[in-house]
Amino acid sequence: MTDVTPNAGGNRAGNSLATQDARTKRRNRAEARFKAYGLTAILVGIFFLVVLAVSIIRSGSPAFTRTVVDVEFALSQAQINEAEEQLFKTAAYAAFFTDALKRQIDESGMEVAVDEDAIERIIGKPGSTIREFFQANPDRIGTPVTFELAASSRVDGYFNGRVTRESMQDSRFLMAGDLDLVDALAEAGVIRSSINWTFITGADSGVDNPGAAGIGASVVGSFFMMLVVLVLSLPIGVAASIYLEEFAPRNRFTDLIEVNISNLAAVPSIVFGILGLAIFIQFAHLPQSAPLVGGLVLTLMTLPTIIISTRASLRAVPPSIRDAALGVGASKMQSVFHHVLPLAMPGILTGTIIGLAQALGETAPLLLIGMVGFVARGYPDGIVSGFMDPNSAMPAQIYTWAARADASFYEKAWGGIIVLLVFLLTMNIIAIILRRRFERRW
Amino acid sequence: MYDAPNLAESQVTQDNIKISARNVQVFYADTHAIKDVDVDILDKTVTAFIGPSGCGKSTFLRCINRMNDTIDICKVQGDIMLDGQDIYDKRVDPVQLRAKVGMVFQKPNPFPKSIYDNVAYGPRIHGLARTKADLDEIVEKSLRRAALWNEAKDRLDQPGTGLSGGQQQRLCIARAVATAPEVLLMDEPCSALDPIATAQVEELIDELRQEFSVVIVTHSMQQAARVSQKTAFFHLGHLVEYGETGQIFTNPEDERTESYITGRIG
Amino acid sequence: MPLIWLIVIVLAIAVAGYVLGRSRVMAATGGDSRKLHSLPSYYGYNVALKVVLPSFFLLLVWLLVQPVIVNGTVAADIPQSAIPEGSSRDLIMSEVRRTAEGLDNAVAQGIMTEDFATNARSDLNDVTQRLKDAGQIVTAQVTQPILQAAQRYRIMNDTGNLILSLLVILVAAAGAAWSLREMRPEFRARNVVERVVKGVLVAAASVAILTTLGIVLSLVFNTIEFFRLYPAGDFFFGTAWSPSFTGRGGSSELGVLPLLWGTFYISIVALLVAVPVGLFAAIYLSEYASPRVRSFAKPMLEVLAGIPTIVYGLFALLTVGPLLVAVFGKDGLGWMQAGTAVMTAGLVMGVMLIPFVSSLSDDIINAVPQAMRDGSYGLGATKSETIRQVVLPAALPGIVGAILLAASRAIGETMIVVLGAGAAARLSLNPFEAMTTVTAKIVSQLTGDADFASPEALVAFALGMTLFVITLGLNIFALYIVRKYREQYE
Repeated sequence: MTDVTPNAGGNRAGNSLATQDARTKRRNRAEARFKAYGLTAILVGIFFLVVLAVSIIRSGSPAFTRTVVDVEFALSQAQINEAEEQLFKTAAYAAFFTDALKRQIDESGMEVAVDEDAIERIIGKPGSTIREFFQANPDRIGTPVTFELAASSRVDGYFNGRVTRESMQDSRFLMAGDLDLVDALAEAGVIRSSINWTFITGADSGVDNPGAAGIGASVVGSFFMMLVVLVLSLPIGVAASIYLEEFAPRNRFTDLIEVNISNLAAVPSIVFGILGLAIFIQFAHLPQSAPLVGGLVLTLMTLPTIIISTRASLRAVPPSIRDAALGVGASKMQSVFHHVLPLAMPGILTGTIIGLAQALGETAPLLLIGMVGFVARGYPDGIVSGFMDPNSAMPAQIYTWAARADASFYEKAWGGIIVLLVFLLTMNIIAIILRRRFERRW
Repeated sequence: MYDAPNLAESQVTQDNIKISARNVQVFYADTHAIKDVDVDILDKTVTAFIGPSGCGKSTFLRCINRMNDTIDICKVQGDIMLDGQDIYDKRVDPVQLRAKVGMVFQKPNPFPKSIYDNVAYGPRIHGLARTKADLDEIVEKSLRRAALWNEAKDRLDQPGTGLSGGQQQRLCIARAVATAPEVLLMDEPCSALDPIATAQVEELIDELRQEFSVVIVTHSMQQAARVSQKTAFFHLGHLVEYGETGQIFTNPEDERTESYITGRIG
Repeated sequence: MPLIWLIVIVLAIAVAGYVLGRSRVMAATGGDSRKLHSLPSYYGYNVALKVVLPSFFLLLVWLLVQPVIVNGTVAADIPQSAIPEGSSRDLIMSEVRRTAEGLDNAVAQGIMTEDFATNARSDLNDVTQRLKDAGQIVTAQVTQPILQAAQRYRIMNDTGNLILSLLVILVAAAGAAWSLREMRPEFRARNVVERVVKGVLVAAASVAILTTLGIVLSLVFNTIEFFRLYPAGDFFFGTAWSPSFTGRGGSSELGVLPLLWGTFYISIVALLVAVPVGLFAAIYLSEYASPRVRSFAKPMLEVLAGIPTIVYGLFALLTVGPLLVAVFGKDGLGWMQAGTAVMTAGLVMGVMLIPFVSSLSDDIINAVPQAMRDGSYGLGATKSETIRQVVLPAALPGIVGAILLAASRAIGETMIVVLGAGAAARLSLNPFEAMTTVTAKIVSQLTGDADFASPEALVAFALGMTLFVITLGLNIFALYIVRKYREQYE
């Protein structure tokens, strides 16, 4: 019975612990390799995150700026009278403007050929803007006024690096020679970048006018949708969780609910879109593209998430709290509503915010209930129309832009993503703060 | 129930000291779990660590094969020498150390593999067998050593988790034996077992003494008396008393040892 | 009466009922609440609940049923002769609804008088023009039957709304009166309120069942309708997908196989990216990473999971696609025609699934008992040996479950494939070719101009059904495996 170790010593030649034998060295190398695979995997994940972040910021930030031309000039009453007598009134105004611009360039001492066509290609036709301004503000006639005019989207692209001298093709929109003028104007400080408020606050434009497209209206659409989701999913989710966690007997019906919840959590979101289309729009005849319908669909989609996290926070409240309440003669219902629910509330709110953030970014179901392709040209008129009138939502608006043929809209889509992510980030930060501040370990 | 092998006890010399610990301190974050422990553990002897729960006996046991390395907050100071070599030396690979100092745990923890693969696991990773036949031999011998062969020989390909608790623990002992260790550490190996399985394992421990130096942590004083030749009593992180088992149980020197043995503390 | 006002009135009655109920029962005991069976507020809640619940229930049911009845009656009254060739009753009905809505708007804007709107029998041109003035999009000339139907539709809806308002207020008032009569000190108000509240809780929990029911019904009915128009055999076994664009032709080939192939191919590419990366990331996080690295890397990976899929879709379309074309396109290796391809969508979807696989696997690896690892370390195994030979085999069922859940995610993913995979349905092995998926086709068939009753639109429901059944099967199987696995170590 002494020889249990047939090969003992054979593979452990140097019996000292301090020196590694060949096999141990090999095993340790395998160990290091394996660990490196793991680290690589983490780095790959983080690498993708960084690439994603960089491409979003790089492609999206130009959407927030636009290129404007500042021109200061004064118009006398006589000049206005002269222009108003002409057949093409705005053209006459534009001519005054071009003269003023030429003067400005000459004064700065630059040697650039300025022709009217080039100016028109760079800043469009300023005539009507000027005419409207002086009609609206007759008291400014005769005094110097600074006009801030939006440059064309190609000049915009030149400033953002989207259009380069190499990639430029002479077209009726912009000639290579015009870029000399643009450079000169930029040097003189006449052309500069400014924040594009139209993009942040504006509504969507038509397919032919990427410069005027804005995300504001769809932010409002998303807001109304989230309102519906919050108002419906929080109470329903909390009520369902309380029932399942505190009151439900163990029977078939409860099992059925449980199975349904865990499966709904994994049903593809597009299926919820089909549900919304068939039930809310085809059957119940709710208006298409309305934030109300979007909110209802997203509520059904978010409920399982909220129920699952709410149940987890209810379960985290120790039974001793319930026993204590029951022990002083409270009813089961009172023990839940007076003690368990308030203690679980931070967790519930955290889960709800995260569920809302998920719903805010969800696109697929919105496609089916008609929130895409719809051009949200304006803000809703009031609260009721905010819920019932067709509108877009942020992710749907982004998709609409991404699906348009004009590549200028891609920049808007990326910009829209930045706006969307800012909202998501804010919501998640609020959730984290809530968790940090109120988290309680029993 | 147990005949003390007086022969072995009388021949204790410097030569067969297997493990010697000097001035060992263990910290868990801010908690000082083991304080100034000095002990010499002999070869081919069963040494029992007894003491009330939380006294540090398991912690100290885990220091001997550096299992505490897997716990981040655990820090060990002092020297523990195995055959005169400091096991906490920077150059020592804990993997090689643990091949020499095997361990059996409180709860039987067979791997989710077949009985054969459970036993063959150690020999495979350490490359103890050159051929399949070698491996078969090691597995059979180890299972025989652990008195499990007769029960397991027809079901070697069935999962180890399908055995009863006592069988599982013997499987874990077989698994530890198969690696051909020099020291076998046992952390309350019988605490999850019924009395019959316990008796079987205790019998096994006594057999293993011929081969290895066995260190067993137990919370049962009767068990310590039955299986061990040397006993160390731990209390609040201190090694209070260490000596011949018979002496510790019949004529303890320290008041605390006596209190514990007579049931006044613990 | 606008709905909001109706709701406000009911709520007002409820509040009044609460105050009355409470004060009444207090008065009955001379202000000594100790003589009551329940706390005074319960008597108030009892009244309020009995006001709100029945009236809101009635309101909800009525609002759901009324459009169905009105539509049905009006549609049945449209003479067969009024339905032009190639049109359908449904199409005419939507025109009727539009016209009715237009009349409403016109009246609201003062372009028509109420009288004119209800009696505008004669001059159709005038009506059409006025509707256009009111900003209503009227497709063509409003015809006589449509106008009549629209007027009828309006009248029925108006009457319905009036009756509804009256009934709801009546029910609310009756609830208040009935419950106020119950207000005696010995009335067990708390028990009653708690029973009602419990009923509400049960109802809330049942929403999950109703949702599933709604999904199944909307899929089943439309799928049956589709199979009535298009043979089921051709759908399930057809190898060509080419819907006609007219939305009305019989020339469409609607075989699901190319779509399923595209779906599975993209999912496989995605899993080939996500599973190794996710699994190794999970192993590193749970077994190797120091708490500091873990507390940094885990949230970083989870950020990937929190990014909406539209972002990934755009990333595929505008970043990854062009990048792949630069490498594999005609300037590079020449394998790729355009940026939208199986590879593009699969890669990006893989990135999306990394955190999904890693956090699920992380949980599962953490559920493997520490004793198992100790056993292995105690025998002198290295960490990687322990992980590969003990931890992973022990966690295998759970990991398989996690991968299946990820696969079901991949199959159901929509935005990435809509934007990144292309629109061509084909059965091909080349991962650099554009292919399309079930989800992408659901979107394109339902967002086009096709008539809802045509097989080209209805096929989307059959596709949805296919998708639902596949993902449901995967989910149930995966959840079963994961649950079995968890129980093993509990």
